[in-house]
Amino acid sequence: MNSIDPVGLANTVLGGALLGGLIALSAVGLSLVLGVMKLVNLMHGQIVVLGAYAAFYLAAFWGISPLLALPIVFVLGFAFTAPVEKFILAPVAKHGEEAGLLTTFALAIILENLFIRFFSGDSRSLDTAFSRETIAIGPINLPTIYLIGFAISLTVCLAVWMLVTRTSFGRSLRASSEDPISAAIVGIHVSRVRWGTFALNGGLASMGGVLIALCFSFTPSSGSEYLLTAFAIIVLGGLGNIMGTFVGGIALGVIQSLGAYFFGDGYRTFVGLVMLIILLAIAPNGILKRRRSL
Amino acid sequence: MTAVLQLESITKSYGGVRALDSLSLHVAPGEVLGVIGPNGAGKSTLIGVIGGALTPNSGTVTFDGRDISTLSSADRARLGIGRTYQIPRPFTRMTVADNVRLAATNSGHHLSHRELEPFVAGILERLGLTPFAEEVAGKLPLLRRKRLELARALALKPRVLLLDEIGAGLVRSETEELISIIQSLRTEVESMVLIEHVMDVISQCCDRTAVLDFGKMVTVDETPKVLADPVVASLYLGSVAESADTIVVDESKRAAIRASLTSLVSAPNMASGTPLLTVDDVWVRYGGLNALKGVSLSVNPGECIALLGANGAGKTTMARSLAGAVPLTSGTISFAGKSIAGLRPDEVTALGIAQCMEGRKIFGTLSIEENLIAGGLDARKHVKAERLEAVYSIFPILKQRRKNSGTALSGGQQQMLAIGRALMSAPTLLVFDEISLGLSPIAVDEVYEALGAIRDSGVSMIVVEQSVDRALGLADRAMVLGQGEITLEGKPAELLADARLLASYLG
Amino acid sequence: MKNGISILLSRIATPTRVGPRDFIIVAVLAAIAFAVPYFAGTYQQEVGFRILQLGALAAAWNIAAGYTGLVSLGSAAFFGIGVYTMAMASNAGLPLVLCVVLAAVVAGLFALIVSPALFRLRGLYFTVGTLALAEAMRIFVVNSPWFGGQAGIFLTAKAPKAYDLYWIALLVAVIVVVGVLLLLRSRWSYRMQAVRDDEDVASQLGVRTYRTKLWAFGLSGAFIAIIGSIQALNQGIVQPNGGFGMSWTIDIVSVAIIGGMGTKVGPWVGAVFIVLLGEFLIQFPEIHLAVVGVVLVLVIRFMPNGIWGTLTLALQKKRNFS
Repeated sequence: MNSIDPVGLANTVLGGALLGGLIALSAVGLSLVLGVMKLVNLMHGQIVVLGAYAAFYLAAFWGISPLLALPIVFVLGFAFTAPVEKFILAPVAKHGEEAGLLTTFALAIILENLFIRFFSGDSRSLDTAFSRETIAIGPINLPTIYLIGFAISLTVCLAVWMLVTRTSFGRSLRASSEDPISAAIVGIHVSRVRWGTFALNGGLASMGGVLIALCFSFTPSSGSEYLLTAFAIIVLGGLGNIMGTFVGGIALGVIQSLGAYFFGDGYRTFVGLVMLIILLAIAPNGILKRRRSL
Repeated sequence: MTAVLQLESITKSYGGVRALDSLSLHVAPGEVLGVIGPNGAGKSTLIGVIGGALTPNSGTVTFDGRDISTLSSADRARLGIGRTYQIPRPFTRMTVADNVRLAATNSGHHLSHRELEPFVAGILERLGLTPFAEEVAGKLPLLRRKRLELARALALKPRVLLLDEIGAGLVRSETEELISIIQSLRTEVESMVLIEHVMDVISQCCDRTAVLDFGKMVTVDETPKVLADPVVASLYLGSVAESADTIVVDESKRAAIRASLTSLVSAPNMASGTPLLTVDDVWVRYGGLNALKGVSLSVNPGECIALLGANGAGKTTMARSLAGAVPLTSGTISFAGKSIAGLRPDEVTALGIAQCMEGRKIFGTLSIEENLIAGGLDARKHVKAERLEAVYSIFPILKQRRKNSGTALSGGQQQMLAIGRALMSAPTLLVFDEISLGLSPIAVDEVYEALGAIRDSGVSMIVVEQSVDRALGLADRAMVLGQGEITLEGKPAELLADARLLASYLG
Repeated sequence: MKNGISILLSRIATPTRVGPRDFIIVAVLAAIAFAVPYFAGTYQQEVGFRILQLGALAAAWNIAAGYTGLVSLGSAAFFGIGVYTMAMASNAGLPLVLCVVLAAVVAGLFALIVSPALFRLRGLYFTVGTLALAEAMRIFVVNSPWFGGQAGIFLTAKAPKAYDLYWIALLVAVIVVVGVLLLLRSRWSYRMQAVRDDEDVASQLGVRTYRTKLWAFGLSGAFIAIIGSIQALNQGIVQPNGGFGMSWTIDIVSVAIIGGMGTKVGPWVGAVFIVLLGEFLIQFPEIHLAVVGVVLVLVIRFMPNGIWGTLTLALQKKRNFS
């Protein structure tokens, strides 16, 4: 292996932390969906990819910068996933957890192949003015885009956290997540909460896709990797814990970067996956304990 | 003393609640031991701990002189401990015969291929299941499911048999049939432990009987002595004389509560002289079982109804179907002139029926205040704030701790929170489901004190209860459910004097 | 109470029964299938190979998912193990039969190694765990120095003729089917179904649930690996994205669900459906997969027992009425 160079290592760890925080945005909605709908959303990765493509074409056709496109992408992701829940997932919910899981699996297949059909299998990436810039902090050089993405992700995660902890929708969401039947009897319109949560996740995951695509190239088949990464993050951060997800993202980013640093770049994802399996086995509810108040 | 089964100071807690509290118990060879006690006394937990499904927090289980505390349930089954479930849990997609074959091929006794079929056939015959051997177990009605539970446990060739409320939900003739089966088992099973609500089964089958309450042993002795013990009767029915002494009625406090309640209950929006709620010939069926068999009842505006009955009689199903949480198989429910069958639970709540659910169902991820707000989502902001203050003035403790998690309260306080949450929707009809369950007597007093004030505010109420005296002390009218049907109906005083009331509880 | 058991199956009212009749039917069908290369061309043999391959894969997956309730999305891991074991063992000069046996053994060992982690996961979490496992395997094989990286490994042995491949696939399919039938006749059959229906009660009746799950998962994986090893022969070159690719998992799950999970015939109905659909849309591979996805969505919603399960139920009802 390489001899350890302290500056390179510090660069790796910091870069990984920023990158992880950035990627956390793509994961934050997944745990809400899991909590409220008891649904493992296997099309999650394809929604992330969809967001990336949306930004790509917004930039290509209208010249909208990906960062400015984020709100538009959120709306598109929301608008696309809302009917999916209402007309495809909600009707099979009564067939049990697995029916929902396998339906999202089928939807993932459909989306991925439609991407290939209409967007071609080519690898794409998003460009901004900052894409090639770096910021130097002492001897450490960090890509500017990592810092910007990190800040955006943190801001949105905080907003989601406020939404869940401070608003009426958030109260309904938490109550439905804990005990849907009691929540309904108390007077909460649980099916609307489920629908809202799924669509919210659609918007958040799409935005996450834009941030990821600013840092890495993507293809129509990147979805399964994004899904598993998001899953590793929410398991690390504790299911249903919003800020925990953000911290989990940072932790995963550091672990992956260290893996890439020591074993080679190809092992970046592998390290995350192995950790996911080990984590699931030893602590399915996450390392950061779920706090009562979220 | 050579006990077959010995439990030494077993403690099992869930969260903060002790389901079993340093309980010790032994079962002698050749003995049938009965275990009774009110709902929530820890009886089913006891069976789980012996069978290995539950791991106690402390204490040991010894079987035949060997400490089995660390063995898995599969290994305990192979040693000879068989159990049945209170609510039968057959493998619904396997045939009846396959259910029995499964147990027969996994017991500690090896059966060769040639021995297996006659053995299985023998057990099926014995329990009257031969005609249904090739039927899918999910299609069986309750009594046959119960027989299948027994058949499976017997196929293990157990030395000790644990039977969890095998008589619950059966009619008398069925119960008698079960009693004769249990008695016939004495020759082949070394010992049995019977958890029961049906007293006929206890009195006719058990040599000794243990009484549990709040996870502790109240008494254990020869069955006739235990059943004659007045303490036991009062455990089930409560004692009216005792509670009357302890309730101190504070009139000024009541008046204050009454004032607060005016903003928390709504007058029915309908013509007077007709009932507020009409339940007509309601049937509810789940998984092949009839939980309600043609129940009809009505509640007039301002009336308080007590709905009584033993465990498994269908009370909670009735409450749940009023909430819209259980689909009706047939029949109609109308409220304030509108049919509510088929509505979603939140729509029913919006119409003015609020529920205090069994087990309180407080949301632990919400603070106390958020729990209350969740109960009145539809109200406008200032109305919500006004109602919140009203609830706080009735239950000041909730205000003090309003930022805390809803489940950080004691049982009695959680019940107050549940009542407050139900009031937040300013209902016309309140349904209280098993409100005294698992509460200490003092907490029950406090809760019923509040219920009395709520009744006086003129709102209609249905009080679903096991604890007879409390509910009857409150109600204008009472009915008793048994096996999913209304078996007895009348004024509280008449019912109290009726010997059939006690019989419906104690069999 | 319901520990992630498949509700998809809950309406199937026909219990699993295996009698001598089943073996006779298999023998007759196998004999007919054996004769195909004598009157059909190479194209038909290739289509036949694909049907045999997918049907056997789904039947093998069914052991874990349909009968034991272990819904795995990690089949690609086992398939890839089979593919690579064949390539490496046959390049090392081992005889064909030994290579196939070795594929099964390696897959069984793999199941044994990953089971302590996987079996702690119940229901949905198990499914996610298996998905992660398959992806991890693929990435590991791409990056580690022992498996030829992205480029993969060429098989040095000469590629078999189309009819030879077809016959080998037929033999493997018969082995899998007979294996499944024998399993369903054994005492494991009750244990597996009991674990699927209610794991806690099964344990209370003396079933060692961990062992039961391991047997089902390992056997299912070993069969999948055997089929994978034949695929290596078919391709002549093995690559990580081919051998460990998600597409195998997608194929297996689609075939099993469209045909009918937890039924003996379902996998074969599903395989014929998927392969014929693929041939029909051969010009548009992405459209083919998207259509498969749409069919899956519709089947899960409107025919939760799959084509075969729905047919049997309909026949049963008709019989009950007449």
